[in-house]
Amino acid sequence: MATLAATRELRLIQRRGTRALASREMRRVLSLWTQTLLPPVLTGAIFLAVFGGALGSQLRTVAGVEYLRFILPGLLVLTVAGQAFANNSTSVFQAKNEGYIEDVLSSPMRPWQLLIAYMSGGLLRGWLAALVLWLGAWPFAGAVQQPALVVLALALTGLIFAVLGVITGMWADSFDQHAFIASVLITPLALVAGVFYSAERLGQPWRTLTRFDPIYYLVDATRHGYAGVHETPTWAGLTIAAVVAAGVFAAAVELLRRGWRLKA
Amino acid sequence: MRSGSGTDPAIGRSERDSAALWVENLDKVYADGTHALRGMSLHIPAGSFFGLLGPNGSGKSTLIGTVAGLVRAPAGHVFIFGHDVVAQAPQARLKVGVAPQDVHLDRFLSVREVLTYHGRYFGMAAPDVGHRAEELLEVFDLTGKADTRPNRLSGGMRRRLLIARALMHRPRLLVLDEPTAGVDLELRRELWTYLRRLHQHEKTTVILTTHYLEEAHELCERVAFIREGQLIAEGSVDQLEARYGASDLEGAYLTAMH
Repeated sequence: MATLAATRELRLIQRRGTRALASREMRRVLSLWTQTLLPPVLTGAIFLAVFGGALGSQLRTVAGVEYLRFILPGLLVLTVAGQAFANNSTSVFQAKNEGYIEDVLSSPMRPWQLLIAYMSGGLLRGWLAALVLWLGAWPFAGAVQQPALVVLALALTGLIFAVLGVITGMWADSFDQHAFIASVLITPLALVAGVFYSAERLGQPWRTLTRFDPIYYLVDATRHGYAGVHETPTWAGLTIAAVVAAGVFAAAVELLRRGWRLKA
Repeated sequence: MRSGSGTDPAIGRSERDSAALWVENLDKVYADGTHALRGMSLHIPAGSFFGLLGPNGSGKSTLIGTVAGLVRAPAGHVFIFGHDVVAQAPQARLKVGVAPQDVHLDRFLSVREVLTYHGRYFGMAAPDVGHRAEELLEVFDLTGKADTRPNRLSGGMRRRLLIARALMHRPRLLVLDEPTAGVDLELRRELWTYLRRLHQHEKTTVILTTHYLEEAHELCERVAFIREGQLIAEGSVDQLEARYGASDLEGAYLTAMH
């Protein structure tokens, strides 16, 4: 009985620690809102205004959908992915670079709890920025056809890129390395993910290239939920995304358990 | 306190579980090939005030990092009040408070929040966190700076905050890695007084590393000399002076290190 009580007490302690670290991460996002929330919302709004408004009036429809309505789901995915990644890679890198991550690493929290807590800031930033962007575009882009599908696709997007952000923050030893991953991996993947165009209408090799981009399937699934059009089997794409999310989560837990690039 | 290899396992386990720190054959080689610890064994009884003395690079900070769970995969065993720091890491970490040599404080938090967040990371309940933080702010004369960011504090204040943070979750074992480095004489004396009171009244075990031998002499009941990752001598100040035929701790230390 004493052992059971001790185990329960320890779990309570660890839950409190996880909540504390998560609240610290989310507070950072909200208190630095001019750096964390305003820029992605403005960038998304500019994309919508330029591509949806100015260019959209000439393109009229893509795949039978008004251009603004066609690009909005992709912009929501890009916002969630980019912000979840940027937030977590920066926060973990800063904590590691300035040494104060040691206070967290020497706490009784389990590696998976540390990961969830660090992910929370990026998830809040990505989802909140996407929500604000959607609310601004809603009057022009129309209603969501299948909200649950959109929520699921954006949830998986957030989970995958929040974890990748944590891993990048652990890996980076300098701001250059930290920026390198965003520049050579995230931005190119985002640009060829079919946000602004239909992959079906592309010539080769661009059509094939787009289909190798994992973000493309998340964009396509979100577009299916939002506007009712899609180019790939949605549930297959989401299943693969769920497997990828579970895989990167497990990998990050193992890296944290080993103290990879965090401990001497 | 060192145990022989022929010790009865049951007695050895009992000693191990009651010791504040039980280190057995600890070995650590860093990725760059630096052999920081070479089969170190060290047993520190609960309730003692213990000094670790050695030159820079002797392995003191690696030992402390291992105790705090900040060193990757060392060979050997470390137990804190009977909890294995690897297999029972959460339980072991709850028992330890570490004030590291380098001052690293979360720049997004105020002085008060550095304490409250630390307490919450270590699972303290909300009402207790607030009371304990105010208590430590007062003890370490930081109440007036409670809402200031740590990077606006003087070096001595940051050092005090680091020790307060280590004490926040009421650890049974307090590890201080050169706590008075760069601290003026007046503050050093105040810290000595506080540490003595903590040790005597709250029965906290204290492990202290320092390059100030008078500090070790003043505070520590037992002292260990460490060189090149190995324990070379351990005992009370009087025992070490007698062993090395020295008139004071400094003489014993210099003889042991050469």
